[in-house]
Amino acid sequence: MPLPSISFFLIASSILFGLGLIAVLSRRNAILILVGIELMLNAANLNFIAFWKYADPTTLPAAEISLTGPMMVVFSIALAAAEAAVGLAIILLAFRHTRSTDLNRLDSLHG
Amino acid sequence: MILYLPILLLILLSALGAVWLAKPVHAALCMALSLALTAVLYLALGAHFIGLVQFMVYVGAVAVLIVFALLMTRRGEESSEISARPRSWALGLACAFPAAAMLVTAAIQGAALPKSPPSEPQVSLSDLGRLLFTDYAPAVLVVALVLTAVLIGAALFAREPQKDTLR
Repeated sequence: MPLPSISFFLIASSILFGLGLIAVLSRRNAILILVGIELMLNAANLNFIAFWKYADPTTLPAAEISLTGPMMVVFSIALAAAEAAVGLAIILLAFRHTRSTDLNRLDSLHG
Repeated sequence: MILYLPILLLILLSALGAVWLAKPVHAALCMALSLALTAVLYLALGAHFIGLVQFMVYVGAVAVLIVFALLMTRRGEESSEISARPRSWALGLACAFPAAAMLVTAAIQGAALPKSPPSEPQVSLSDLGRLLFTDYAPAVLVVALVLTAVLIGAALFAREPQKDTLR
């Protein structure tokens, strides 16, 4: 099956990153900000896989297996899951204090 | 070409839903859809192990965790979200558009970018497993430590404080 040019994947992942950034910057609900962060991480992973797929293995040393991209994605997914778990635990802790996940109400340090 | 572009388009559309929809649960489910479609894309690109890990960890664990957290903190706050929307969206777009535009420009103008992939990368699961526990073993150990810390930390954070034990 013919693949499109790598630019398609890169453009899609750039737009995905932009959407995640919009979610992080414009959402009020802390959990939905976490959703935006997951989208941005996903965009980065997509880039890793695209570059891995399109990289020329003949430029590598002979014995080397080109698996750097998938390896990075494996670790990135593991750390994203960890980040989501800790982030949600912190949000639940804040929810217990303010009875809300609205970030604008976490202003008790406001003078 | 016939397969990849619709998948990319669907990924972007469901991500837009995750960003745009006012109801938090709908947004979280859209994110799960976007992540699942990315897993399908990985499978189609030949990164089978990554695709399956993406399904299990992102769709199976992270998305479910987020939906659970939404259900536990449900307060029906989408009204304030919608009323504040024009201003916050303008701010978000003003910050995110330059970043995305710069990345897209780089992706279009990159002269050295390959137009088509080389011959099928010869990758087997056993290669990946062997590398993971030889060359990448230190990184695996660090991730194991991080996950242990996360497990303990999340349990500590999320547990109900008991008044007789906390002094």
